[in-house]
Amino acid sequence: MNPAARETAARATPSRFDAIIVGGGPAGLAAAITIAEAGLKVAVIERGDWPGSKNVMGGLIYSHPTSQIVPDFWKEAPLERHVVRRDMWMTTADSTLKASYETTDFALEPYNSFTVFRSRFDKWLAEQARARGAYIINETLVEDLLLESGKVIGVRTGRPGGDLEGNVVILAEGVNRFLTEKAGLGAKIRPATVALAVKEVLSLPKDRIEDRFNLEDGTGAALEIVGDVTGGLPGTGFIYTNRDTISIGVGVILKGLVDKVGESYELLERFKRQPQVKRLIDGAKPREYAAHLIPEGGYRDMPQLYGDGVLVAGDAAGMVNAVFTEGANLALLSGRAAGETVIRAGKTGNFSAHTLSWYGERLEKSLVIKDLKQFEDAAPFLSSHAHMFNLYPEVASAAMKELLTVDSLSKADKTRLIMRLFRSQVPTRRLVRDAYDAWRAIL
Amino acid sequence: MSENNKETPVNERRSVERERVKPWPAPKLNITARLGLVKFIPDEKSHLSVIDPYVCRTRCPQKFCTHTCPAQVYRWEDEEKLISIAFEGCLECGTCRSGGCPWENIEMSYPRGGFGVQYRLG
Repeated sequence: MNPAARETAARATPSRFDAIIVGGGPAGLAAAITIAEAGLKVAVIERGDWPGSKNVMGGLIYSHPTSQIVPDFWKEAPLERHVVRRDMWMTTADSTLKASYETTDFALEPYNSFTVFRSRFDKWLAEQARARGAYIINETLVEDLLLESGKVIGVRTGRPGGDLEGNVVILAEGVNRFLTEKAGLGAKIRPATVALAVKEVLSLPKDRIEDRFNLEDGTGAALEIVGDVTGGLPGTGFIYTNRDTISIGVGVILKGLVDKVGESYELLERFKRQPQVKRLIDGAKPREYAAHLIPEGGYRDMPQLYGDGVLVAGDAAGMVNAVFTEGANLALLSGRAAGETVIRAGKTGNFSAHTLSWYGERLEKSLVIKDLKQFEDAAPFLSSHAHMFNLYPEVASAAMKELLTVDSLSKADKTRLIMRLFRSQVPTRRLVRDAYDAWRAIL
Repeated sequence: MSENNKETPVNERRSVERERVKPWPAPKLNITARLGLVKFIPDEKSHLSVIDPYVCRTRCPQKFCTHTCPAQVYRWEDEEKLISIAFEGCLECGTCRSGGCPWENIEMSYPRGGFGVQYRLG
């Protein structure tokens, strides 16, 4: 803790704030930093021992949105590697078809994206908020909202005498949106649009990681893997390189798992056994196991973003772009917009839903809502087209294998065999339908 | 695939087979070793509960929660005919309240502040 932070921590916590933020993740902390920088009194209430201790990363931290919260953050934040390569794998039980993009531009400052551990990154972000004057109140669960004639006026915490009052309460409580539900702003997320991700962090020496993934010192790769690795369930596997560990995980739409009566913890084992995956992690020792939900419902599953005295941001607001596996960036941007809304409303002294609706307008104009709207059909599409996760990788693999196996067949005969296989497995009507639905869902 | 195909010479007739989808793996993983990697600060009181054990007994032959929970918190006790809950090892993901129990028969809240899972990496 730096001297400024210690000084802030030593100050007695007041019981009335300009804003009370529930949850110390990217959304809540971005809001806290924005509000504290304007000189307003803000508290972040975190149920874990420190912000980040309940959080799990299944994606990347991007430079551009993060720099808007803390300029030049990459010079001091606890980051693992800057990502220069993104791989897409299509797998069967024993084969892989790969697409890869890499550029040296991503190796230049201020970089494009980073792998991180959220328990460390969020803790650091909270220190930035504290240094700017925000109160970080750890080990405290918000149990309920305080209401006065329908208006949110504060929070009730699990501590004795732990009521805190504020002009605005920002709900940045994460995917399990208990308070957002209680406030009547949104329903519980649905099994068809929520993904369960299970993840392991595996230790492997730094130079072995760089050899195996063909990386230069300090650079990283992010791999997105579809097909057999999810056992044919709609979902993806991921592998991220950290400094001297590898994050490996698999996320599947919960409904698919329930319908198949699948074992979530077995999914990861299955993933790790795939031969090409196995080679990457061979000999790596498990360090930590984690599980988390990801709200993939997008725009359609979003709650009401504002009410009298209350705003919703980040995962609680369903701000995840499942197609591009982005979430933390949208959380940061929505948190900042929520913070700016509090500052703006503070000038008028009016915190009604009408005044706070500026938050919604601001997000509508930003990429947050634009992206969520563009991909609003993606999650329902993936749920209703589960066959694509097995069918296409298998057909593609069989075709590649036939084409590349040299035997007594001519290439023309091989092409005919492949076309016949393709037609028997993928009727033209289905192909046209899938292509059309995919185009509609994603573009 | 049909064998009477005129384009391919007789001695070369064969089919490209779509690879078989392998069944779900048989060995059941012991979750204990994996959960041993995670730090927990368990509370005395459970933050998880089954709302109506009768539903588990009579309507849920699959015992969905015993499969979907990534921490194997829920276990079917055949003698007592009820679901036992090892809440101390809960990862607080929320699967059980979001469809992991399709009967919506599990009540989940978060543990008190300062208790529960504590990720060191995350």
